[in-house]
Amino acid sequence: MKSLRFTKAKKIAVLFWAILILIPVLLPDSQYEQSLLIVCFLFAIMASGWNILSGLAGYVSLGHSVFLGVGMYTGAILGRETGVFTFYFAPIGMLTAMAFAFLLGSITLRTRSHAFVIITIAILLSVQLIVSNWVELTGGSNGIIFRSPSWARTAGNTPYYYMFLVVLVLTVALVRFIMNARLGAGFISIRDDESKAASIGINTTQYKVIAYCLSAAPYGLVGAIYSQYLGFINPTGSFSILISVYLVLAALVGGKGTLWGPVFGGFFIAFANEASTVFSGGISARVLIMGVVLVFTVMFVPQGLLVSVATMLRKRLAKDKTVEFINQAAIAERDAPLNLNNVKRAPSKAKADSSESILQVKGLYKSFGGVKAVNGVTMDIKRGSITGLIGPNGSGKTTLFNCITGTYGADSGIVIFNGTDITKMQPWTRAHMGMGRTFQITKLFKSMSVLDNLVAPLEKPSARNMLANKMQGEEVERAREILDFMGLSSFEKSNVSALSFGQQKLVEFAQILMLRPDIVMLDEPASGINPTLIERLSKAIKKLNDAGTTFLIVEHNIPLVLGLCDYIHVLSAGEIMVSGTPEEVRNNEAVIEAYLGPDTLLEGLDV
Amino acid sequence: MEIIQVLSYGILLGGLYSLLSSGLALIFGVLDIVNVAQGAFLVSGAFLTWQIWDLTGIEPILLIPVVALLWFGLGIIIYRTLFVRVAPQGPSMTVLLSFGLALIIEGALNLIFGNKFKSVQTSYSLQSYKLGEINFPAPQVIASLAAAVVLVLLYLYLMLSWAGRALRATAQNRDGAALIGISHRKISSFAYGLGMATAGAGGVLISVSYPIYPATHYEWISKLLGIIVLGGMGSIPGAIIGSMLLGIVEAAGNTYAPQWTILFFYGVIILSLLFKPEGLLGARSRKDSV
Repeated sequence: MKSLRFTKAKKIAVLFWAILILIPVLLPDSQYEQSLLIVCFLFAIMASGWNILSGLAGYVSLGHSVFLGVGMYTGAILGRETGVFTFYFAPIGMLTAMAFAFLLGSITLRTRSHAFVIITIAILLSVQLIVSNWVELTGGSNGIIFRSPSWARTAGNTPYYYMFLVVLVLTVALVRFIMNARLGAGFISIRDDESKAASIGINTTQYKVIAYCLSAAPYGLVGAIYSQYLGFINPTGSFSILISVYLVLAALVGGKGTLWGPVFGGFFIAFANEASTVFSGGISARVLIMGVVLVFTVMFVPQGLLVSVATMLRKRLAKDKTVEFINQAAIAERDAPLNLNNVKRAPSKAKADSSESILQVKGLYKSFGGVKAVNGVTMDIKRGSITGLIGPNGSGKTTLFNCITGTYGADSGIVIFNGTDITKMQPWTRAHMGMGRTFQITKLFKSMSVLDNLVAPLEKPSARNMLANKMQGEEVERAREILDFMGLSSFEKSNVSALSFGQQKLVEFAQILMLRPDIVMLDEPASGINPTLIERLSKAIKKLNDAGTTFLIVEHNIPLVLGLCDYIHVLSAGEIMVSGTPEEVRNNEAVIEAYLGPDTLLEGLDV
Repeated sequence: MEIIQVLSYGILLGGLYSLLSSGLALIFGVLDIVNVAQGAFLVSGAFLTWQIWDLTGIEPILLIPVVALLWFGLGIIIYRTLFVRVAPQGPSMTVLLSFGLALIIEGALNLIFGNKFKSVQTSYSLQSYKLGEINFPAPQVIASLAAAVVLVLLYLYLMLSWAGRALRATAQNRDGAALIGISHRKISSFAYGLGMATAGAGGVLISVSYPIYPATHYEWISKLLGIIVLGGMGSIPGAIIGSMLLGIVEAAGNTYAPQWTILFFYGVIILSLLFKPEGLLGARSRKDSV
């Protein structure tokens, strides 16, 4: 069924490209049609490029056409200086646009704030101003005029038609490549949950800057061709915010985050634009209409026309399908094998030794305003142990986790992991070093399937790893095996948001095993999940621990903690109140008081 | 002497910007919406003022309460009909929605008023006050003073009224505020209305001190957004500090290198992002990870 649909989609794509290639051959007199299609190509190229940053990585840019202008002017200036046509400089236009994006991105994409969308408009206006005022280089507001090629009289638009078409094919190929690569999975994970992405080894800053550069590339490439096609450029035309409006609209109407949505949207908006010109709509009416279309799309078809139609069709098809019954109890009983090399790193030089520390926290402080969430914590986690971290709500357990994993910077104090001071390191570096953590409220990537969620983590940050196909190679085999071990293999293709909370917790656990972690930090793994799954979970923890993986567990389920852990730290008001073996902690009066109140009779309580 | 002249121009500009950017900061702080339509609200407020002045010849400053109140109501309607449906989809969709609104307003203003600069001529349009050797152009002085008055009223309202407290509570912790009985829907539309009211009042002020033209909303919005990026997105005090700083930068630019003014303006913002990405008074929030 699936392979059939795949070939069908492929057939449509081949047909689409074939028709576009053949139009000038079959219809030699189609100069007007070709010029209209050139605009379609241009919009489709821009919308697809925008899609890489704003559709996949989720960072909306409202001034993206600045890169078109950069490409246009790069080609134009080099063409003027050398006396040849501007389109020869298309590759240089592309590199210039990418370099510019790199520069801007390195400044504006470091944080996860909304400052980016704001800066994009300002950048467009600033560059327009620079180009207008730097008269010696750009010709100022008078712009630059080019001589047209000698073939223009006989061949008309056809050579340009093919140039634009080539860029469109390249752009679609680029987006397709990204979406299939782990890089693309990384972009989507940033869109879905940026801090989670960082915790599973994705260098979010680097990824965002890469997304920005890649999304600028098609603009620079097509820009240098476009300027020759126009024959004349000036700052207001090249850096018009209206172009940005069109391209955002095209991507949105078609469907952002998809491969063909922006292409479809580009054609759609180009035709709509042409129609409004034919029916004599002035520029004002056009702005008004584009605004209405944008508001309408955001309100009623936020996923885009292509996606909405596809969803409708799929629903109609799915009506006849029967729902598969999944025997969860049987799955939980079953003992799937696990090749431990798939979830662990190569054994370190020193053999696991229970007296050696894997993680040391020294004098850690973190406050929020007046609240001292972590108030001078010092602790030492032994390699190969299962250490529990308990304490009343608000005692600072999760904040301590966040400081150890780098989600927050600590105010003072140090964290040493595997002998290295990691206090100032980014979350993704810590993940690469073998630190994995789950979250109290699961943070999975909601737009992805279970399997996609598992292949998203980046164990080693190499370029080859980032560009590899996410659904091929040993990573997928590992992911399948871990899912099977967790009893989740029947949900492989399900969207994670379709799973129960407990299942999501197991998926998140499985996900961090993909990092081959030395230490696994679980934040309330058992809260809100049913006893069968808790059983599954503690089996998994024990099995991994037997193989040498260290665990640090925050949990309120006291019987589970006491049964599982070798050692327990009790946190209260941001400080470690008691540390000891389960036996010592269970009998400590201060702990009993903190948890149960001072006057509770404990004789009959079996904990 | 020139320095003092530049500084005083800058402070006058900053006073006006303070009012204009505080509404934007308010909307972002409470609603997590980057309201790109704010510039269009501002310019449409200015056009309304121009229209009324053109018909009646009334002193424009007197129209502040009228336009502000009207825009407040419009803001509530816009939020309840449009944003309330899109808000759950997150900031990347609401920013596109408000971008769409900005385009609709720009197109509509173009159709109604035409592609021509308009300006309100008052008795003080060409006057200026002199203090020693320093020149204060009257329209700027009046606009800046009126902006300060409106801003102080807004501040007192936010600090002293129940609605103001509810707003601040929601900005700090949306779920917590909902738990103690603050309806998120109501307070959100109220915040949007209030933000839009400042754009209405601001529109009146820019009509007396600037030539107005529909497409200028892009320049306004990128300036104002720049200010709140510098000040720290959701912070009104940050917006005021950012306004003053950038007002002075702009005045200096106008004096020493007029054609590059906007570039100085954005240059400061880019520099601040390099060294303090969360803005001057912005704090990194705790809600990122639970």
